[in-house]
Amino acid sequence: MSTAQSLHQSRKRKNAVMMALCVIAAGIGLAWLALILGALLYKGLSGVSLAVFTQMTPPPGDAGGLLNAIYGSIVMTIIGIVVGTPIGVLAGTYMAEYGRFSKLTTVVRFINDILLSAPSIIVGLFVYELMVRPMGHFSAIAGAVALSILVIPVVVRTTEDMLNLVPNALREAGTAIGAPRWVVIRSVAYRAALSGIVTGILLAIARISGETAPLLFTALNNQFWSSNLNAPMASLPVTIFQFALSPYEEWQQLAWTGALIITLTVLGLSIIARSLTGRREDR
Amino acid sequence: MKPMLSTDLNVADTTVEKAKIEIKNLNFYYGQSKALKDINLSLPERSVTAFIGPSGCGKSTLLRVLNRIYELYPKQSAEGQVLLDGKNILDRSQDLNLLRTKIGMVFQKPTPFPMSIYENIAFGVRLYEKISKAEMDSRVESALKRAALWNEVKDKLNASGQSLSGGQQQRLCIARTVAVKPEVILLDEPASALDPLSTAKIEELIDELQADYTIVIVTHNMQQAARVSRQTAFMYLGELVEFDRTEKIFTSPREKRTQDYITGRFG
Repeated sequence: MSTAQSLHQSRKRKNAVMMALCVIAAGIGLAWLALILGALLYKGLSGVSLAVFTQMTPPPGDAGGLLNAIYGSIVMTIIGIVVGTPIGVLAGTYMAEYGRFSKLTTVVRFINDILLSAPSIIVGLFVYELMVRPMGHFSAIAGAVALSILVIPVVVRTTEDMLNLVPNALREAGTAIGAPRWVVIRSVAYRAALSGIVTGILLAIARISGETAPLLFTALNNQFWSSNLNAPMASLPVTIFQFALSPYEEWQQLAWTGALIITLTVLGLSIIARSLTGRREDR
Repeated sequence: MKPMLSTDLNVADTTVEKAKIEIKNLNFYYGQSKALKDINLSLPERSVTAFIGPSGCGKSTLLRVLNRIYELYPKQSAEGQVLLDGKNILDRSQDLNLLRTKIGMVFQKPTPFPMSIYENIAFGVRLYEKISKAEMDSRVESALKRAALWNEVKDKLNASGQSLSGGQQQRLCIARTVAVKPEVILLDEPASALDPLSTAKIEELIDELQADYTIVIVTHNMQQAARVSRQTAFMYLGELVEFDRTEKIFTSPREKRTQDYITGRFG
């Protein structure tokens, strides 16, 4: 065999080995996801009934639902998003538009990246010190603030990245027609980056709707119906945490069902986010 | 016998008509590096002037000084004077947005805004004028007619501007620029990304537009400069080498560097 042929053979062997390793790794990753989804569907689906969405969390040994937890999760998520999104979008806009060449942007981006990967329990403790201790009690509003702090870095990052993808030629064109800077940002840059920015917000919703740690120290939990923002409030993740650890069968079943609801919600949001970005890339 | 009177810069006296823009002792810097060196040039009103020269000679830079679009970026600065109707636009007190409504610009790559064809044109008009829907409709129509695009898009004014072909997009950008009623139109290689047919349409358009506007075009394509412009400035390494009537530049240039460039010896 000539050298060239033997080289070719050994390269082909190496290629086969590498490809096999990659396929196995991808398979393992997917297998866990499939197992989790499978277990959730298997254990959770059987508990899904109208009662889950209409009744309160029950005392041990009783039948009941998750209404107060679902309500609490929705309320706190909405407040978290409503508070966090404008701050995040405006900060991202500063970084990508006004302060693109400034030192401050580099500093903010660095700090934002730290915040993005900070353990959420630290955010919970921070809000505990900031709000719960001075107020003297746990409250839904403290929970919502903790969630909004988690929203901000996600939205800052995606907003900045998406605005940076808007070609400068488009900004120049807007400027060249006599539009002031903020009009160029609002009517040209935002429009061009809209689907990306919305995707970031959806991803932030997906992120916070499953957060448990920051709520443990802030909103705590509530066995009963409560729409008072100044009082402890139930949420799905914390309820799942509590119920899954309990010895009562009804509670465990509700925990599975709650987990399924969260997972499907997050999955749905991710799919919407994907299709939004996908459409943008098609263009 | 050679005429006794000639300037150092070899800038011939083309200012039979009134000068719309006069550039005086203009220097331009990207950070520390000097990109334009002591440019003196006067652009006559209602006429097409072409800037030609090899890549990096400063022709686009010079164009970008005329509407001060370079100010979007830090570390770019101009010194000297650019007089528009006798008023120095490099002056600090110059309102940039108003300047840009007077001096429109069309770029190399078509840049339709992410909105409908109608809105692409109405957007610029709405910035400085409050007019009724009916007036806006006729304004959009006349701008699109001016840019020879009306017949192709009149049935789909609500379609996205980005759905048009490259050549149509570029004419949309010209329509958008014309719609705000500028006095000067700057064209930065407007046809270099287009096919020959679209290029011909754009050139035809430029020819028509010069009846009403002062036009400055930067181009890599020397035939294009010869076809569309009345006077041509040849630039090299940040200097204005020669400025004269176009047929003079292309038939009997005074400078050897001009001659070498237009005969294809370099660049």
